[in-house]
Amino acid sequence: MTLAFKPDETFRDDYTYRNSPAAIRRFPFPFHQDQYMYSVNMEPHAGGPAGSVYEHAFDIDEHYIAEMRDRAITLERDPGRCVSLPHMMDAEWDTLELLMESMARDYPDLFVLKKDGERWRWVNKPLGIDQSFTFGDAATLPCPPFEYITRQTQGDFVIMDQRNNDLFADAGMITSQADWSLAFDVGMSFMEWHGPVPLAHELGVFERALKYLLMLQQGRPVRRLNWTMTINPRLDTAPETYPEWGQDRASVTPENVGPKVHLRVELQTLFRLPRSNGMLFSIRGYLASMEELATYPRWAKRLNRVLGSLPNELAEYKGLVRYRQTTLDWLARHDDGAPLAVGTQPE
Amino acid sequence: MSTPAIKSQPVYTALEWDRAGTHHVLFVAADEAALARRLWAQPPAGPITLILQHAGGEPLAGWLAERPPGVHTIAAATLELALKALGDTLRAAQMGTRLYLVGPEDAIWQAARLADGFGMSRDEMRLMQAGTRARPVFCVHCRTVTRGVHTHIVPCSGCGRALFVRDHFSRRLGAYMGFQIDAEAPGDIPAAEVIYP
Amino acid sequence: MSHASLNVEIGRIRDLAPGIREFSLRRNDGADFPVFSGGSHTVLSLPLGDRLHRNPYSLLGDPSVRDTWRIAVRLQETSRGGSRWLHEAAREGMRLDISAPVNLFALNRTGRRHILVAGGIGITPILSQARELARLGADFEVHYAYRAPEFGVFADELEALAPGRIHHYVQSRREQIEFGSLLAGRPLGSHFYICGPAGMVAASLNAGKSLGWPDSHLHSEQFLAPSGGEPFDVKLALSGHTFSVPSDLSLLEAIEQQGVDAPYLCRGGACGQCELEVLGAEGELIHHDLYLSADERASGTKIMPCVSRLKGGCLTLNL
Repeated sequence: MTLAFKPDETFRDDYTYRNSPAAIRRFPFPFHQDQYMYSVNMEPHAGGPAGSVYEHAFDIDEHYIAEMRDRAITLERDPGRCVSLPHMMDAEWDTLELLMESMARDYPDLFVLKKDGERWRWVNKPLGIDQSFTFGDAATLPCPPFEYITRQTQGDFVIMDQRNNDLFADAGMITSQADWSLAFDVGMSFMEWHGPVPLAHELGVFERALKYLLMLQQGRPVRRLNWTMTINPRLDTAPETYPEWGQDRASVTPENVGPKVHLRVELQTLFRLPRSNGMLFSIRGYLASMEELATYPRWAKRLNRVLGSLPNELAEYKGLVRYRQTTLDWLARHDDGAPLAVGTQPE
Repeated sequence: MSTPAIKSQPVYTALEWDRAGTHHVLFVAADEAALARRLWAQPPAGPITLILQHAGGEPLAGWLAERPPGVHTIAAATLELALKALGDTLRAAQMGTRLYLVGPEDAIWQAARLADGFGMSRDEMRLMQAGTRARPVFCVHCRTVTRGVHTHIVPCSGCGRALFVRDHFSRRLGAYMGFQIDAEAPGDIPAAEVIYP
Repeated sequence: MSHASLNVEIGRIRDLAPGIREFSLRRNDGADFPVFSGGSHTVLSLPLGDRLHRNPYSLLGDPSVRDTWRIAVRLQETSRGGSRWLHEAAREGMRLDISAPVNLFALNRTGRRHILVAGGIGITPILSQARELARLGADFEVHYAYRAPEFGVFADELEALAPGRIHHYVQSRREQIEFGSLLAGRPLGSHFYICGPAGMVAASLNAGKSLGWPDSHLHSEQFLAPSGGEPFDVKLALSGHTFSVPSDLSLLEAIEQQGVDAPYLCRGGACGQCELEVLGAEGELIHHDLYLSADERASGTKIMPCVSRLKGGCLTLNL
């Protein structure tokens, strides 16, 4: 697949981000049924149909260049969005190796990795980077290895350290999150980190997920989807900048729902890391506006029903309360009420 | 905004000696005479170090009065001095040490963070909130920690924003999370109520 | 399949000492081996007659050497066939399937000092942990106990990693590790790791506990070989299989012989991955694992089929 990048689109100020028809078609719509509730919902991340977001270990799409530029802007304003505790250096190199090897293997036209022992050369054509360095020697890179490679990979990343039968969020590159703060959460145990999520604890979801992840094996990554909604195609919806984007939630009107309200889906993948025995947690976000989704009537109908039946605790946690009804009114125009078969497919 | 129970919020139970320990370091920043009496009534085997932080006035009498003989006692007039004494104690301490932290959350979590730096794990420490329930609050916008917060909404001592104090707690920062209450509707700030006396 | 598997050829076989052999393994597809962390093991699938026998072995080599993996195998007197096959039937050039690395004995990277203890063949994971600590520049020491001088098979390799920080205890010279003194007076933030015979591991953990060490700082690895036992019958409620477990097969192996895909990881009662739900048991569950809590055992609703069995009539499982 040849990617036509949209290097000039923006995720702030004038918000020129749009999806091409091909990008809408491959959007990872998350709702199989008309109701949503938390579940562990993890499955092997072992590829997927050609062209789908599941095809490769780390999905690169038409928004790559623009997203990386937005990340650089966020880091420039707040370097604290990338944190790594001192015992995480092996895990940083593990991550760099996994991302470079995966991208060079899956997108040979875009990325090239050449190795001569520990002497590595990394070529990133879309971003115009050609870097020679020594694997394991952080001084040979312009910044620490985790920051270096995650400035060049779409999606947010957390590295978890495994010790004492728990997973600790001890490193992260978080610039496009659904309203959680790395600066606040770094170093937390699995349960503490997920503490604010309502209802799921009572369902035992995190207990089961932790038990499952502690046994995650090398070479057998897993994935799940999560979702929220975002007003405007904005990546930086961090608590840190809530004063900048909070008012957007009050700006939704019946007239602007279509282009302004976005479904935000996270393709979450987890990889056991080899040297550190840590775990890489990739949170790859996709944004689609209501009018983009509604180009497939099945999706508009499904979203109408999911959003309408969503428990209030979840709506509040996801920050949807101010605009849920306005959005539902818009979606209802696309819903004839006919039963929908189980499945996430667009047609 | 409702605040559901958040799992990161510490849950404290009545302090008991951990008799598996072989050296006991008690860091106290609140006068809890009943607790002191109960603990001193059945002291554990092994040496005991008592570090008492009293706010300038009388040393915390309850802890001193019924001490068993041989308790090594260090009194400190400020939290800073008490933490320094704790650091000196832990630097010389050995595996088998148990750390007990009694006091306001601000003090005991600063002490816990210090112990983390010496490689102590959570199963070597016991914490109990006592004295004021005032919270240290970390502003996610400017990263200032505002201390001694009694209300659910408080102006940030760094950036001045009106912060909502959430029940989400960071052990590393020893603070609760605060974020701007009126970010979605500027100026819409409910009256602050005292809920952390 | 519960494992990503790698097809390998047995390279060099070295007899290191009576009853201890080292095997070098190479991948048949010529690709690099995955990197692994200190304390990792791989599970070998060994062709014993008409069945596959799976045994875990620690990876003792240097993880940066990507074309070769090394394991060392001690001939177990009570071998049900695995170590005996490796000692008597294995030949250079033979092919085997092995698993990707699994680590159930990882170092705590926040530790400030690391005390490693190996007893006999328990040196294998300790060696890879020591190599990792040396690479990280961490503060560590190794205490290595073995029967007689000729059994200190990795002494030179250890010395090269950490000169002056390796302590030897040779049983034939009446040298023995005194865990009470080894673990006393250690600074805060110390972590203790041991791999060795069950009695030695238990003695060290007891010494640590009586000196007040918390569980989170005491790490041990012990693989239990499935002990045989009396035969018993099994009914798998979901798949409908009914069969007998003979005395020389584990419950997990017997399930696999039925062609039923059951989860597993360590096959030594340690990891918890193979846990099965017991729907009915005509007789006493004989738990040999290190994983289930006392409460879970008492509930009679869980079993780790890699090492545990039934004494009695028929066991019904939710599988």
